[in-house]
Amino acid sequence: MVNVMKGVLVKCDSAMKQFLLHLDETMKLGKKFIIQDLDETHLFISADILDVLQAKIDDLMDQISFPVTEKGN
Amino acid sequence: MAPTKRFYSKNEGKPKKRKKDDEEEWAMEDDDSNDVEGAVVPGAAGRNAENNDQGVQEDEFGAKDYRSQMILKSDHNSRPLWVAPNGHIFLESFSPVYKHAHDFLIAISEPVCRPEFIHEYKLTAYSLYAAVSVGLQTHDIIEYLKRLSKTSVPEGIVEFIKLCTLSYGKVKLVLKHNKYFVESPYPEVLQKLLKDPVIQECRLRRNAENESDVDGLITQIQDKKSIPTFGTKPSTSDQSTESTTVVPDDITNFYEKMDNEEDDEEEAALNTVSFEVNQEKIEVLQKRCIELEHPLLAEYDFRNDTVNPDINIDLKPSAVLRPYQEKSLRKMFGNGRARSGVIVLPCGAGKSLVGVTACCTVRKRALVLCNSGVSVEQWKQQFKMWSTADDSMICRFTSEAKDKPMGCSILVTTYSMITHTQRRSWEAEQTMKWLQEQEWGIMVLDEVHTIPAKMFRRVLTIVQSHCKLGLTATLLREDDKIADLNFLIGPKLYEANWLELQKRGFIARVQCAEVWCPMTPEFYREYLVCKTSKRLLLYVMNPHKFRACQYLIRYHERRGDKTIVFSDNVFALKHYAIKMNKPYIYGPTTQSERIQILQNFKFNPKVNTIFVSKVADTSFDLPEANVLVQISSHGGSRRQEAQRLGRILRAKKGAIAEEYNAFFYTLVSQDTMEMNYSRKRQRFLINQGYSYKVITKLAGMEEEPDLMYKTREEQGQLLQQVLAASDIDCEDEKIPGEGGPRGGSSATRRAGHLSSMSGADDAVYYEYKKSASSSTAVKHPLFKKFRH
Amino acid sequence: MAQNDTKSNHINNSARLQPANLECKNLHDYLKTRSPAVLERLYNHPTICLAVYRELPELARQYVIRILFVEQPVPQAVIASWGHQKYAKEHSHVCNVLSELSVWQEASIRGGLAGWLLSPTFKRNLKIALLGGGKPWTMSSALDPDNKARDVAFLDAYSAERWECVLHYMVGSQQQEGISADAVRILLHAGLMKRDEEDGSPVITRQGFQFLLLDRQAQVWHFILQYLDTVEQRGLDLVECLTFLFQLSFSTLGKDYSTEGMSAGLLIFLQHLREFGLVYQRKRKAGRFYPTRLALNITCLQDKGAIVLEEDTPKGYIIVETNYRIYAYTDSNLQVALIGLFTELLYRFPNVVVGVLTRDSVRQALKGGITADQIIGYLTQHAHTQMLTNETKSPLPLTVIDQIKLWELERNRLVYSEGVLYSQFLSQADFNVLKEYAQTSGYLIWCNKEKRTMVVSKAGHDDVKKFWKRYSKGN
Repeated sequence: MVNVMKGVLVKCDSAMKQFLLHLDETMKLGKKFIIQDLDETHLFISADILDVLQAKIDDLMDQISFPVTEKGN
Repeated sequence: MAPTKRFYSKNEGKPKKRKKDDEEEWAMEDDDSNDVEGAVVPGAAGRNAENNDQGVQEDEFGAKDYRSQMILKSDHNSRPLWVAPNGHIFLESFSPVYKHAHDFLIAISEPVCRPEFIHEYKLTAYSLYAAVSVGLQTHDIIEYLKRLSKTSVPEGIVEFIKLCTLSYGKVKLVLKHNKYFVESPYPEVLQKLLKDPVIQECRLRRNAENESDVDGLITQIQDKKSIPTFGTKPSTSDQSTESTTVVPDDITNFYEKMDNEEDDEEEAALNTVSFEVNQEKIEVLQKRCIELEHPLLAEYDFRNDTVNPDINIDLKPSAVLRPYQEKSLRKMFGNGRARSGVIVLPCGAGKSLVGVTACCTVRKRALVLCNSGVSVEQWKQQFKMWSTADDSMICRFTSEAKDKPMGCSILVTTYSMITHTQRRSWEAEQTMKWLQEQEWGIMVLDEVHTIPAKMFRRVLTIVQSHCKLGLTATLLREDDKIADLNFLIGPKLYEANWLELQKRGFIARVQCAEVWCPMTPEFYREYLVCKTSKRLLLYVMNPHKFRACQYLIRYHERRGDKTIVFSDNVFALKHYAIKMNKPYIYGPTTQSERIQILQNFKFNPKVNTIFVSKVADTSFDLPEANVLVQISSHGGSRRQEAQRLGRILRAKKGAIAEEYNAFFYTLVSQDTMEMNYSRKRQRFLINQGYSYKVITKLAGMEEEPDLMYKTREEQGQLLQQVLAASDIDCEDEKIPGEGGPRGGSSATRRAGHLSSMSGADDAVYYEYKKSASSSTAVKHPLFKKFRH
Repeated sequence: MAQNDTKSNHINNSARLQPANLECKNLHDYLKTRSPAVLERLYNHPTICLAVYRELPELARQYVIRILFVEQPVPQAVIASWGHQKYAKEHSHVCNVLSELSVWQEASIRGGLAGWLLSPTFKRNLKIALLGGGKPWTMSSALDPDNKARDVAFLDAYSAERWECVLHYMVGSQQQEGISADAVRILLHAGLMKRDEEDGSPVITRQGFQFLLLDRQAQVWHFILQYLDTVEQRGLDLVECLTFLFQLSFSTLGKDYSTEGMSAGLLIFLQHLREFGLVYQRKRKAGRFYPTRLALNITCLQDKGAIVLEEDTPKGYIIVETNYRIYAYTDSNLQVALIGLFTELLYRFPNVVVGVLTRDSVRQALKGGITADQIIGYLTQHAHTQMLTNETKSPLPLTVIDQIKLWELERNRLVYSEGVLYSQFLSQADFNVLKEYAQTSGYLIWCNKEKRTMVVSKAGHDDVKKFWKRYSKGN
């Protein structure tokens, strides 16, 4: 027998993976979305969460970035 | 300007709420929360050209559309700048007229950014005040601006300049023969002032009958005065052939006119009127004049001061001033008197020589204030190096020095030494008393931007000096208090362009780099779940960062470089330093220990890397270092970043062939708030034309053997240590008004960590060879010429 | 494009998988996709033969000239022997090119040798083009002098304005007059714009952004190719249009030509070219037209920079500072709009626009489908002369280049691929067999032997499933 599941393979660096695990554990996206933790740089996740997830990652990136220049003043 | 003093203090204690500005706050400024802002600045200073363009149309792409207000001239190609309706000015650095425009803009406006090609300046009320106080006139400012501009100058800007300058700079407070006079070349202005009842009160009339003038004003024809010349001028090869470039005549002509004016401002024997004022009423007078929008410019006619004795001090012949040092001093002594104000030069560009020269020019009793004990020593060295002053003339007033300051010519001390309110020893008490009784010729305020405004005001109530010179590397304060300096000390007299100094080799060419260190998964995991206070420790202690740091240190040690590693966080500082077996300095390190470590760093070929906490930001010079690694810093402080860069800016000998001769690394843990802070910190320097190379991978690090924290286990142990650390460990070092009686007393530190201080103990002490041969009596030949 | 989009799944919509980039064909790429019959018809015109000949690789031109007057097939081995063995690769490449373009065909020689024979039509007409003879093949210019003759400067201004109209329309700038419905259709057809899902108005696509950042000559060529795709639907004759286009490309700038003798179809074509600024006509029925610089040498994409659009490409006008400031010396709305694609614009002065590259503004562009390389390319291509004076290789500050790339990388920290997870195999053998199959078929995107787990791509799932069923039955 073999178990078959559809979803999305995510390849990322190990820190990003921790971030996804964190989102999953704390239900930050409203539910669990990681189907299987494959290895240090791969996860298998459900497809329907993708847009929300990407938005969360954008949030994180927004947070840690700071405008390199002042604009007007 | 002795009597600038007391009226500020009246406002003290008036509690004022201030927004606590997260990480911007700088430990030393913590006690600054209850001072008054705006109370003593003239109304015009509150004007802001920025608002002039309210209601301006945005074009379809979201840009403010100024096209209708700026009509392009047909010969715009040969003119170097645009003046926007909001007071921002853009200057082409590649224009043939650049030199003409640059000198002018630096006098009338604040630099916003000066990268390679196009520089941005901004007209502000303060900058225009400064322009007027160095002798520029409203009409000339407007006229020259018009001529330099590629387009018509917006009406609103012309108005703004008039508003900010017409009444400024017209009245001076002058001390002559120990009498105070309000002096002006404009009789109508004085008459206007005299109509004010408060000012009438301040006026001192001696035998009113004797005055010839109808209103009792003293009319005087001012004699021509020469500007002193400072030290040896390096032969100026500035007379470059500009024949090939097209400079519109109206610009050249005007430039020459302005240039001449600056030089021989008073050549056309100026008629001035004045009235004497009562010394006791000076503070009232000053305040009132500000309210009347005629702030008094303070000038010290030191050559006519016969009351205060001259001190016997001159520059040595070996003291060669660089062009920009000379220029800044010319701004200060432009009309043969000493103007109070601030000179802004990057660290390492020779601020102390400027200070020493100023003292040698005034030749009256001088007081130098700096912000640490080590710095006091360094100032003394500077005086001995550049001037003929010897040990008998220079005294240090610190808790550690055993000098006897009473009656000395040059007194060097710290801000906290004279402002602290703790009990003093009998001897110190006597010195303070003496100090307060003196009429100082000049007061030099080092690192003036780091001083809390409140402490600064306290200094002014204690010390009476005729002229104040502020020295600083950046006028940047995260708290905007810099505006106060304008009216507490005086206007900015000069500000150098970092990139230009770098290009001409006066400061080091620094490669700035931001090294991205990925968080290990374990550390990042904790980072995501832990409370905010612990996050700092996690990103500073990130094993990848440690390894990157270790690698960089080794790399530069192999090159024969001298490296300083900065960490604001003490837990990290000690951990890194002890692990790598390097000496370190932080708050509790005693004065003698500090000096010992610094001497070793300087002379011991085996000590090439030291770790320091933020005590090293401003407090002492580290001229030997050419590599700086930053592993933890104070949030997003742009000033700290600039200051740290300054630690390695002192021009390096040799190695001209290399593109860079100094390196400034900031290690940041990826995906953490540190990235954000790091970017914020860089802003100021980026605007000075520096650029940070992002290094995502250090080449060669993988191959480097024996870097620590390689294995998961080691990393895990480190993580345990970090998690076990206390809350205090997570914070930046707090330095309570550094310098105090016992040098930032270590009592506040917990004993638990003192055991680990042994890291530096094996350092060998080297006797410092006194290099300065005693050539005390030497007078500079050129200098003699200009005194009398 | 459009069909593609609607069919594409959820993930594609969120633009995280790499969608297609703009594909730029050169003349060769274009012609080789035409049928041999079309090519045969095209080669009836000396102009086209000449254009094709000029665009051939140098070695291929050598071969053609050497056998131009040979009437029999030439043994392939003979031709191969003309070059040194060292250049065998080039040789086979140009042989391939000549075949693809039907310039020559394979022909057998008695004795079973393989040979090459130039296409008779191509040969005949290339001779005419090179040596003269035959009917005059250039356009007719037998006209009375134009009493309102137009000079080159006028034509340049005109063509720039017309072309910019199209570009303006694409960037959605409101300040210009609109463009014709036909032009809009071409933009839509070319995938440079697409209908907005909500209100149906045309909006620029990823390819459209990329198109804007091409140099002008490449833009015109790409646009015309897309147009040619549609001519047959319009009832125009492709060969006729192409022929005219080639004639145009050999015409003289500043000279007027007669419309006499042009078919009704060609006259329609002419009007389209007029709209895009490839030709100038005072009036529709003026009876004469002037080709503009845009039409000249339209086919020469290879040797860029050598000739042509000198006047048209604005001189470097962009200054990029290490503090991310952008100063663009321009008063052209279009240039401002283009810079605005990836820059936050601050001030507009009469001859300069001031902006700053921010993470947001660059991300906006990246999201729109512009790549970091395109932004860097555009800034480099238009760098102000002042920026070129420093000796470093790149006129742009390296830190700015790095940062733009980092902003792009930041968006790609996570790579998603839709797939199917296979796990809990009963035996290692089962796993190995299936993994082997998936791997050799190129479907395997992740696997772990110890955990007996693997992920195959979505596209491969059906095949793998079928294979598994067959395999399981077999066991």
